Amino acid sequence: MRVNIYQATGLKKLVALVCIVFRSIWTLMPMVFLLYACSNNEEEYILINESLAFEVPSNFPEPHYDFDANPPTKYGFELGKRLFYDGKLSSNGFISCGFCHEQAFAFTHHGHQFSHGIDDLEGTRNTPPIQNMAFLKEFAWDGATSHLDLFPIIPITNEVEMGETMGNVINKLKADSSYQEAFEMAFDDPEVNTENFLKALGQFMAMMVSSNSRYDKYVRNEEGGQLTDLEKQGLDLFGQKCSSCHGTDLFTDSSFRNNGLPPNPQLDDVGREEVSGALSDKYKFKVPSLRNIDKTAPYMHDGRFGNLMSVLDFYESGVVDSSTLDPLLKLEGRLGIPLTSNEKEAIIAFLLTLTDETYLNDQRFAEY
Amino acid sequence: MKLNLISTAILFSLIMVGCSSNDTTTDQLTGSGSISIKYDNGYNGNDLIIGAANSANSNGENLTITRLSYIVSNFRLVNSTGEEYVFPKDESYFVISQEADLDNVVLPEIPAGEYTTLKFGVGVDQEKYLQGAEGQGDFLALAESHHMMWSWQAGYKFLNFEGSFTSEIVTDDTEFKIHMGSHGSSLDNYKEVTLALQTNVRVSDEMDSSIHLKIDAAKILVSSNNIQLTEKSVIMVDEVKSPQIAVNVTEMFEVDHIHNGDGHN
Repeated sequence: MRVNIYQATGLKKLVALVCIVFRSIWTLMPMVFLLYACSNNEEEYILINESLAFEVPSNFPEPHYDFDANPPTKYGFELGKRLFYDGKLSSNGFISCGFCHEQAFAFTHHGHQFSHGIDDLEGTRNTPPIQNMAFLKEFAWDGATSHLDLFPIIPITNEVEMGETMGNVINKLKADSSYQEAFEMAFDDPEVNTENFLKALGQFMAMMVSSNSRYDKYVRNEEGGQLTDLEKQGLDLFGQKCSSCHGTDLFTDSSFRNNGLPPNPQLDDVGREEVSGALSDKYKFKVPSLRNIDKTAPYMHDGRFGNLMSVLDFYESGVVDSSTLDPLLKLEGRLGIPLTSNEKEAIIAFLLTLTDETYLNDQRFAEY
Repeated sequence: MKLNLISTAILFSLIMVGCSSNDTTTDQLTGSGSISIKYDNGYNGNDLIIGAANSANSNGENLTITRLSYIVSNFRLVNSTGEEYVFPKDESYFVISQEADLDNVVLPEIPAGEYTTLKFGVGVDQEKYLQGAEGQGDFLALAESHHMMWSWQAGYKFLNFEGSFTSEIVTDDTEFKIHMGSHGSSLDNYKEVTLALQTNVRVSDEMDSSIHLKIDAAKILVSSNNIQLTEKSVIMVDEVKSPQIAVNVTEMFEVDHIHNGDGHN
């Protein structure tokens, strides 16, 4: 929505004068004059870049993102969205963020264990979903950054993902007059630079909230929030066997843990150790959220499991011991999590209630 | 009692006189001026020349340095009465780079006075990093253009020290790479340096001054902690060695001399 305000200086002065004279008596007077001014929307106008409200779902914890440092606005968000879907951010001009983060699959790369980027080079990790980022403290499988704004630097500069430099991206955007306009609309200090570029992407990502699955409606006692007996049984089992890691209604406690996957010797991905340099972090990865889990196959940091039953089978009988194995997966000397096949079915039935069609189809985040 | 009062009064007036005569020197320092800090990189008492072999260090390692860059930040100056002037944080981040001839930090509009101590940080503190896009401003672009971004974790390299070396054991010319920075949220390698100035640096409307630092890059490996390239020549995210290198780096700075109002007006 564009708000046009007539800017004829004479009228503006008159409005201002009226404001001063009647300020104490007629608080409504200037409003009336302003409304009158709005109706005369010819010639010059100024854009009002309205701020976007961030609403915390009642079943969620408080967000971690500092909205005061980068308050989302209509045009900041729109610029962020345009950047998200623009191949200019990559060295060959084709790989956008949205290339690997597809909305229909909760912003993961459907059908790909590892995403392929520039020159068809492949990464070694499975694309994680983008959802509820404002609530997270650490980003990427290994927590390579602890600020959402700075995250885009990682895929943009990774040589097997977008293979570009931040400097080149900014130069390409500067050369595009429509981007100059978009930055001007979005920011008070309208320069096309890394700060504003990252702020725009930060605003777009921070606003991406998935909170309207059937499960959410169930816990909030909203319409459409019915769970079947099997799903309720699954929720109960989930609470007993899974929620110590996949905690809160974000379904992650944001910790780094070694869940006992046998390391793939061809990749030998050490996980968190790569960031911290600590041997005690070897093979630890961030606990992923389980929201929209039905849409985000394949699973695990290396996408080794194609379906949820394989994941639960692994937790039941495939966990491998090592010095950094999470203690919760070795309770009373037993590796993994005891699960009967009926229990697995119930848990999967519950997990499928975490699909949020509203989010997967939200036009605010859609490429087209 | 009366005598006491009188003597106190005399003592007090003496102190006043003492103060005012002292004041005459600082009285002349009004307004503000700039202080520049020159980072003069050297190696074991010699010039640091990119691509030229250096004589062996105490570990018997001969280094040829191809890159020496580091981030200095959060500048503060302590005056002769012990008050600390903090240079505006947002403008207080700089890259020093041998290959790019970035060796001078200019701090404008320092309040007039006599300063006895220079303090600064090496690297980027967590507070700044966690300000996100807002906090990094243009510094991120500057850091990237001088190879000071650790792009794979969107963090900064506080030190980028590269080249090749030989030793008694490693006889073939072997590449070394030391990239030191914070390790995500798990290990903060930002450190601070405090340097007492042998001559007070003075600054005012009439006087811009400079502090000339000499840097001994040999200390990156051999100082409080002994880092042997022969043992490990690529050190990037090492939970043990990286913090040791961070400490060594804080020890490589030395005040050589001060120019008070020299050549700036």
